[in-house]
Amino acid sequence: MQSKPIALTVLDVLSVIGIGAATYFALVFAPTEAVMGNVQRVFYFHVGTAWVGMVGFVLAAVAGVVFLITKDLKWDRLEFAAVEVSAMFFFITIALGSIWARPAWNTWWTWDPRLTTAAVTELVYIAYFMLRAGIEDPEKRARFGAVYALLGGLSAPVTFMVIRLFRTIHPVVIGNQSAAAQGGFDMESGMLIAMFVAIGAFTILFVDLIWHRVRLAKLEATVEEIKLKNSI
Amino acid sequence: MDTINTDGYMIAGYVVTFASMGLYLLSLYLRKRNLQRDLETYQALNDEK
Amino acid sequence: MKTSAPSLFSAALAIARKDLAAEFRSRELISAMLVFAMLVILIFNFALELDVGVRQSVTAGVLWTTFAFAGTLGLNRSMAVEKDRGCMDGLLLAPVDRSAIFFGKALSNLAFMLLVEAIVLPLYALLYNETRVFKLEFLGVLALGSIGYIAVGTLLSAMSAQTRTRDVLLPILLFPVAVPVLLASVKASGGIIAGLPFEEILVPLNLLIVYDVIFVAVSFMIFDFIVEE
Repeated sequence: MQSKPIALTVLDVLSVIGIGAATYFALVFAPTEAVMGNVQRVFYFHVGTAWVGMVGFVLAAVAGVVFLITKDLKWDRLEFAAVEVSAMFFFITIALGSIWARPAWNTWWTWDPRLTTAAVTELVYIAYFMLRAGIEDPEKRARFGAVYALLGGLSAPVTFMVIRLFRTIHPVVIGNQSAAAQGGFDMESGMLIAMFVAIGAFTILFVDLIWHRVRLAKLEATVEEIKLKNSI
Repeated sequence: MDTINTDGYMIAGYVVTFASMGLYLLSLYLRKRNLQRDLETYQALNDEK
Repeated sequence: MKTSAPSLFSAALAIARKDLAAEFRSRELISAMLVFAMLVILIFNFALELDVGVRQSVTAGVLWTTFAFAGTLGLNRSMAVEKDRGCMDGLLLAPVDRSAIFFGKALSNLAFMLLVEAIVLPLYALLYNETRVFKLEFLGVLALGSIGYIAVGTLLSAMSAQTRTRDVLLPILLFPVAVPVLLASVKASGGIIAGLPFEEILVPLNLLIVYDVIFVAVSFMIFDFIVEE
């Protein structure tokens, strides 16, 4: 077991500071939204986690492709780490969206195209874990995982595009608003700053967690190897 | 238009966020500890041989 | 003596022909898919109480759900057969491009699915007095949707056949990934039945075509990684 690199410790500290700062900006610095009140403050973390969730799914797809080309298991570990961490963040995104939806749309959940595709994206990665759990051979597991991560990465962008293609009640943060969108708000500069602080903080935390997860995967591989050797 | 009091939802949102991240960190820690314990057991086994 | 390997196209056709010939003799797959499809439609009938008003808005959804379910049945079976009888190894040993195996399997799967659609659609039209499903645009969307669905489906069935949980896993893997195709197909065909202007159908139709191209191309390129031993 190699010792913990200093850079990782630094990243740990930065993550804690970052999330602390993002919480401060979201809860104290940003102005209270005029109509919806304080619940709007979950929006910053909603965007932050959605951002790292999406980035992670794309990263997993890219790492999967690199694995298929190089056959180097370190890319498989990166891919798996990215999926696991992103699935966790994306779950938070959906939960926060639901909490915002209750006061804004008067329902916890609605089968709007955006919400549906978001739920489906999360399901893709749950299926990914089930696929990997069903294969014993580590090499084959990595190969199939890479293929599935790639397919998932191809269908995930629909989640992002769907609010621009179809009439949906989910507001658009970047770009033009759909006419049917409800529960959006005009962002003041303080809100914009808080949003970018949250995005930055979650990006640092995301890198940090992936690093930890990759190290854990390495440890898993070592133990698995020793187990195999002992059983022979 | 008056601002609606939605503090409860905000608190729920932040509780969910930090609870999820906390649980994930805990699971990372537990998995790591178990693996290290496994590793030590195997090493001890191999030393005996 | 020099024997040249058959071209990708003719090899794919040969594999598809083999599947179709085997199926033509036993008819076990097609009949299972058909009976299943009819049962799904019957269940929808009493679950949704498909009276005239409801039918208009849900026809596209009911049909697509039925075809998607029946499709997984066929996909599962067609790969399981190769695996169980050890035919997959034979196919892999054949001096043909691996991609030809993918295309051959995809072609026969597509043929089965289109055949089921060709039988279920008139029956649905008859039972529910819904002749708008014969609009040419509707049939076109149905074909496009089936192509995209079968392309990823063939790839994923080759994958799930090699896992511990097998048949159970295929729908779990396939449905979420195929959502762009299914979503676009339902939106487009629903719009056609409702008689919406063409511009409104164009958005899902474009999405459908884009994902057809992506799924066919990607499945074709990465199939090699699924079957290598």
